[in-house]
Amino acid sequence: MFSELLNKIKYSPNLILLPTLSLLILGLASLYSIAIVQEQPPPNAFSKQIFFLIPAFLFLLVISVLSKRLIHKYIYLFYGIAILAVIYPFFGDKVSGTYRWINLGPSLTVQPSEVAKWIIVITLARFLSDNNLQMKNFNSIIIPFLIIIFPTLIVLNQPDLGTAFVMMSPIIPMLFWVGAKPLHLFLILAPLFSILFAFNVVVFYLWAFILGLIIYMSRPKIFIGLSLYFGNIFLGLIFPLLWNSLRPYQQNRVLTFINPELDPLGAGYHIIQSKTALGSGGFLGKGWGAGTQTHLKFLPVQESDFIVSVIGEELGFIALFAMLCFFAWLIIKIIILAINASDRFSGLILIGIATIFLSHVFVNCAMSAGLMPVKGLPLPFISYGGSFLISSFMMIGLVLNFGREEIY
Amino acid sequence: MLRSSNSVSKTRFWIIIAFTLFIHIILAYRFFQLQILDYDIYTKRSNSNRIRAISIPAPRGLIRDRKGEIIVDNYPTYVLFGIGGDIVNKENNYSVISKATGIDTLILSKNYNKNFRNRFLPTKLAKDLTIAQLSRLEESKNMLTGVIYKQFPERIFNPKIRASHVLGYLKEVSQDFISSFESSDKYQHGDLIGWSGLEKQYESILRGKKGVSYFQVDVFGREAGKVREEENSLPHPGKDIYTTLDIELQELLEAEFEGAKGAGVVSNARTGGILAYVSAPDYTPDLFTGLISQKDWEFVLADTNKPLLDRVANGTYPPGSIYKMIVALELLENKKVTKEWEVFCTGSYEFYDRVFHCWSEFGHGKVNLQKAIVESCDIYFYQAIQNVDLNSLGLMAEEFGHGNKTQIDLPSEMKGRVPTRGYLNKLYGRYGWSEGAMLNISIGQGELLTTPLQISLYTNILATKGITYPLHLVPSKSKLINIKKITDANWNFIQESMERVIYAPRGTGRKANPEVKGLKIAGKTGTAENPHGETHAWFIGYGEKDDEKISVVIMVENGGGGGDVAAPIAKNIFKKYFNSTDFKTASK
Repeated sequence: MFSELLNKIKYSPNLILLPTLSLLILGLASLYSIAIVQEQPPPNAFSKQIFFLIPAFLFLLVISVLSKRLIHKYIYLFYGIAILAVIYPFFGDKVSGTYRWINLGPSLTVQPSEVAKWIIVITLARFLSDNNLQMKNFNSIIIPFLIIIFPTLIVLNQPDLGTAFVMMSPIIPMLFWVGAKPLHLFLILAPLFSILFAFNVVVFYLWAFILGLIIYMSRPKIFIGLSLYFGNIFLGLIFPLLWNSLRPYQQNRVLTFINPELDPLGAGYHIIQSKTALGSGGFLGKGWGAGTQTHLKFLPVQESDFIVSVIGEELGFIALFAMLCFFAWLIIKIIILAINASDRFSGLILIGIATIFLSHVFVNCAMSAGLMPVKGLPLPFISYGGSFLISSFMMIGLVLNFGREEIY
Repeated sequence: MLRSSNSVSKTRFWIIIAFTLFIHIILAYRFFQLQILDYDIYTKRSNSNRIRAISIPAPRGLIRDRKGEIIVDNYPTYVLFGIGGDIVNKENNYSVISKATGIDTLILSKNYNKNFRNRFLPTKLAKDLTIAQLSRLEESKNMLTGVIYKQFPERIFNPKIRASHVLGYLKEVSQDFISSFESSDKYQHGDLIGWSGLEKQYESILRGKKGVSYFQVDVFGREAGKVREEENSLPHPGKDIYTTLDIELQELLEAEFEGAKGAGVVSNARTGGILAYVSAPDYTPDLFTGLISQKDWEFVLADTNKPLLDRVANGTYPPGSIYKMIVALELLENKKVTKEWEVFCTGSYEFYDRVFHCWSEFGHGKVNLQKAIVESCDIYFYQAIQNVDLNSLGLMAEEFGHGNKTQIDLPSEMKGRVPTRGYLNKLYGRYGWSEGAMLNISIGQGELLTTPLQISLYTNILATKGITYPLHLVPSKSKLINIKKITDANWNFIQESMERVIYAPRGTGRKANPEVKGLKIAGKTGTAENPHGETHAWFIGYGEKDDEKISVVIMVENGGGGGDVAAPIAKNIFKKYFNSTDFKTASK
């Protein structure tokens, strides 16, 4: 039994721990800089993060040796529990204005959606691998879509658009992995584009043309094709009308719903400060502990959402480039493990987890660098946050487990 | 379970790999763009985000008298500020301040609105707070938000003298001035600037240079330590200026003019350094410091005696008989008369269809040039002037500084007026004026106008036979005035005549004689007719003792006769100056 466990650990793709730990150290260094320079007495973000590492590694170890069969067997049950867990906060009090957190004690709150993210991935993986679906058929992607949309809508209502986005994102590559037609994936995304592009007339015309072209080229049945096309166009036309019929305060309410971190003083204050921190760091940075934007608190939520700006300001472009290399290494390694996996279930889980990591990296960095509006989303292994740190290490545990070559 | 094979097309695998790489490359490029390409922009922004420069006021230079005694000093006052962003409830704060200091809430809110620049800068609410007011404020501090006070140096004046027109005053620079001034970065909102008098003239010396202290602030604008990379600069205090004024003499002259209107100038005849300078009535110099109430201000402005007018430099008056030395020298130099030529004065003189009067109703009898000066006979000059060319007389007057600015080191001064033919033609038309105008000019009346300051220079020139320095309040290198056009014999004649004005039994200036042992004085009185009523009383004179020579010019506006009104004032000045044991100290 014990030697079996040791063997399991021995034959795990342990190399992925190297980029993981490098990223962890980079994050801890930045948290330490914030804690020391700003003279925050423990418990501060750094000391708490160190503390959270203990359960994080324990979970990693447990999950990495857990029987795949057991995971496979009970995942639908866990899915049910996860759904309940993300609904549960709605019955409690709001924490920081949202229903994201479950209160477990005087100073311990957990965010169930962090764990739900990868439970959904496994659920989806089981559904897609168990049923020999005809992926050429559009109807085959309806149930996977429902599996993922249900928890996503709950999380969206917490409200937590960032996590909802991350939760939603694995479905595309996972369906793609099992052979879904690109057109079908495109059609899933089409309504979203229709709404987004509706705010610019030229872009919307272009979109209408491309949409029509793609639907025409895929030669669907005439009724389905027309209803898809006009459904999308109608959505695009009706949405701005609906939007404009709202009063400004209602629009603001919706915008705040989409983007709760929107600074009430307006003008993208956070993004300006974040870009300033990044830009003033230059190639080599201002030096560890010498980030003026950071330590004079011009930089908001610096321990979690804007930690990239802290690294960029203090350690410079070179550190951010190294960070991106580590992330690319980690994610591509997971994708390689996915293609080498002996079974579809494992491969799908690995693809889903790679997507989750990629979404986090993209949204967090793009936001800090001013490429997209502020969405409070942490950076794996680097940002401060107990639930997310533990969840990230759980996912690494899953990678170690499902990326392992089956030797017996 | 786990039985479905993991058969994935290689293409799809590579698409996913490529997409992952693509995302990372986009992010890396964006960081490159921000951190390498736009590094300069963001560095600047980062610095302006956090670095604040605070100017440290430089103490203004002091103004001292010739012995080094301080005339204008600095005095720390306390100014109350409100910081817009930090005041929670203005009305509440105002009423707390009002209760503690007694300053009306209306004034506070008016000051706040007037001085408000932005919500982060301290806005001035009240100034000149006393220690008592401050301590009461301190007691109610927990009821105040965003209210601070700062020390602020203000001018304080030697209580013995006023000298308000000489010293001038400071004023807060206006926004217009800041934006109009060439080097506008030198002055900031709230700075004081010399607005008149010596304060204005020597602004660049007195002002000094403000220091700058850099510190960094956090996102809430709170001070968060010094900045290493920026050098702080200490303020350079302004330099003191050492004037030629003599506090004791100034004090006496001011006392002499108490309740009167007029001007008095005492100067060192050889150096041109002004010892006392009085324009009466004046105002207390601290009128412009502190919170002058609108009522006080209107009272000053409405005063018909014009206390704000500097009569010495900006008041123009007919000189009257004190002008006669110029006419006499013009006559002598151009040999229009001899010293012996006589005129019989009956008290009046008929010129065409007009009758011109001498000041002496009964006449002076036989009058020669010297007697005409000593007893100030007008009839003599009426007759003598008829041979004189007006333009030539004007040139002579200009030699003595009339019709031109004296170039004294004060910001404002009038030129007066020396009428020439051209001027009169322009004023009255080619045939609009008669030789009768000449008669008036000959006795220092008519179109002739001078400032007491010009008369002071004129007196110095007479006292030194034309070798003196320009008038000044602060010594500096200046060109010697050296009038060569007058012969020594004529100088001697004029000086002798002026001495006889004092010492001759019928001299008009007898009342100016202080009878100080070893002191020899000379002078001339004048009683100038003017359209504003009673005659102006003039006395000019100089006294010499132990090689020390001062000149005195006294003009009492609408005061009456020069010999009775102005001469006694001069006497007191001579007495005071030459009786004091240390009159020679630091008089250079």
